[in-house]
Parts: sequence; structure tokens; C-alpha cells
Amino acid sequence: MNAASWWLELWAAPAALGFAVLFNVPPRTLLPACLLAIAGHTARRAMMVAGSDIVLATLVAALLIGVAAGWWGRRTRQVSEVYSVCAAIPLVPGVSMYKAAQALLGIASVETSVGGEAFLLDAGVYAVKAVMIMLALAIGIAAPMLLWPRR
Amino acid sequence: MRGNAGGERLPRMSCMKSVRDPTHLCRLVLAAGTLVHQSGGDTARTAKIMSRTARALGADTVHTIVSSLNLGVTVELNGRQRTVFHKAPHMGVNFRTLTGVGRAVNALEACRIGPGAFESLLDDLRSRPNYYPRWLTALTVGLACGGFAALFGGDLAAVLVTLLGSGIGSWVRLWMAARHYKPFIFATVTAAIAALVVGLLAKQFSYTPEPAIAASVLFLIPGVPLINAMADMLSGNYLNGGVRLTMSAVIIAGIGVGVSLALRVVH
Repeated sequence: MNAASWWLELWAAPAALGFAVLFNVPPRTLLPACLLAIAGHTARRAMMVAGSDIVLATLVAALLIGVAAGWWGRRTRQVSEVYSVCAAIPLVPGVSMYKAAQALLGIASVETSVGGEAFLLDAGVYAVKAVMIMLALAIGIAAPMLLWPRR
Repeated sequence: MRGNAGGERLPRMSCMKSVRDPTHLCRLVLAAGTLVHQSGGDTARTAKIMSRTARALGADTVHTIVSSLNLGVTVELNGRQRTVFHKAPHMGVNFRTLTGVGRAVNALEACRIGPGAFESLLDDLRSRPNYYPRWLTALTVGLACGGFAALFGGDLAAVLVTLLGSGIGSWVRLWMAARHYKPFIFATVTAAIAALVVGLLAKQFSYTPEPAIAASVLFLIPGVPLINAMADMLSGNYLNGGVRLTMSAVIIAGIGVGVSLALRVVH
């Protein structure tokens, strides 16, 4: 884990930008959404370097994004999801989902049930991990909206 | 059918112009609610926008129903009651519309615009929904998936092939969605195209094909329905939350089928 690899976190910005454009957010909100995405992804990485597991780290990062987006959304009179949803996108557990799908494909190719346990175990573990990360993400984003009553 | 049914007796607003005909009032309320509901608002937001609109237009009482497929409102105006329902299936995500309806209702409440101007603002939001042309959206979504490939540990070649494959895939997705293909179909077809293009190219040019393939289909993940599902579940709208979760699960299953088809060709 060298210092240069922290620059990789900047890739969170284009990842958020693409979805912001897809969701048709107002052009003025693109930059804050990208900055929030970098902050969220860096926060998750920092938590994991500090020894947390990925689910807790995602929950904390998502809460950070949700609170910041709620605050900034009020200040700029935008819907807070404009910031929070786009910024949360880079935290989606793509690798876990891919590994689960790949392990399931492996099951399709085993002839007898003997070789299948490893694939089944892999598929189960990665699928559960992906679901837990997605839940942490959704709860973290939605919680501030529910805790702060809307105008 | 109960989505969010709530009734409130409301203080009368003091604007000079208000709507006299309760049916017209209901139509305006449903127009505002439909725009929010169909562009990615959760149940509580849709219900809130509907009752705020009714109140600003001068209704004495208002009851709203927001289910996943229908919107309904009952208002009382000058001693006359009226109920209007209509169909409003889920559609895409459009934050411009969400923000625009919110601002229009704010302006209506502050008496800055009357019912006529409010109606034409809503028509405007309905007829010109997009800031960005399709090719630009496809390009930036491709770039987004390239960013994912980098975050997952891919090299520069992986980023570039993901940009290309996901760009093509998301153009196809937008094209199919505009022609009203069902979510499962366009998720499967688009995931297969994107994963196939990325998989074949990444095997040739990149030392890290796996992050590229994993990133290539992420633009299909139904992020907003999932977050709205959570918001609905946590705020007690279990039925609507369940519908959104089911819809997301169908799309994710479609992605799985598409990727598995593509991986068989690639390996």
C-alpha cells in the first residue's frame, strides 16, 4: 500500500460523473457530486486501511455522503439525492458481484457434485458480501433523509 | 394498494388566484405527483409533493394514495369533494424533473406563480426532460465504467476497453429504453454486448481483464430503485419498497444472464 496508489481514488470522480449525466442532474451540481464521490471512496479506503471490514467502512462512507449531501442540498435548494446518489455509485461492490456470477458459471460446468462445493462456497460468500455492502450503502444514503424531516 | 395514504386538514393559503374546479385541482396535483413518481422520487416525496400542491392551490383537505402503479388524490374544495386516480408506472431517473417540480411547488406556495403558470411549468418539464444528448450520456457512462475498472485495480488498457464497451452498451440501453423494451430484456442484451466487447478486447490488450469485465456492466445496476426501496422500507411504505426491490432483482438477474452468455464466448 504505497502513497501513489491513493491517487487511484480520483477515479471515483469520472465514475460518479457518468451516472450524474445518466440521471440528468443539473450541470451546476456535477462538480460537487464528483468531489463528494472522491471523499466517500477515500473515506472507505481509509477505514479499511485502519482495520475495518468493507461492510462497516461502506456504511460509514455512505453516512458521510448522505449527511454531506443533505446539508449541501439544503444550502443550494436542490434535491439532496442529486448529490448523494451519484456520489454513492463508486462504492458499488462490482468485484464481489462479478466473482459471485463467475462462481455460479463454474457450477454449470462441473460434471458431478464432487467438484462443486468450492464454487458453491465462492458464489455464496461473494453474493452475501455484495448484498451486505449494497444494504450498508442504501441504509447509509437513506438514513439522513429519514432522520432530517423534509421541509 | 395502500402506499402512503394520509389525510390532513390544511390551513387555507391566502393567494389571490386559486383553482375553483376541484377536478381541475386534482388533475394538477396528479400531474405534479406523476412527474416526481416517474423520475425517481420515493413514496414519501411523491405524497408530500401532491399534498403541498393541493394545499397551495386552495384545497381544504387532501388525501393521497401512492402505489407503485397508480396515483390517487381526494380533495375537498368549497364543500365539494372529488377523487381522481390515474396510472403512473415507474420510469427512469431524472433529477432535473425532481428538482424542477420541487421549485415549481415552492413558487406556487410563495404565490410567485398562479395555477396557469404552474401548469405550463409542468408541461415544460414533461416535454423537454434532458440536459444532455444521448451520445454524450453514453460517452460519460463509458468513462464512468472505465473509472470503475481503475478503482478495481485495472491497468490503463483495461480502462480504455471498458470505456469503449460500456459506451456502446449504454448507447444500446438508452436506445432500447426509448423503444420501451422491458427491463429484463434490455438488461440482458446490453450486459451481453458490453461484457462481450470488453472481454474480447481486454484479453488482447490488457494484463488485467477481470476488473475490466467486472466494471463493464455496472452501468446497469439499478442504484436509484435500490436506494428508494430502502427509503420506502425504512419509512414504512413496505409494499412500494417491495415492488422496487423486486424490480431491481429482475434487472440484476438480467445482468447475470447477459454476463454469463458473454463469458462463455470469451473463455
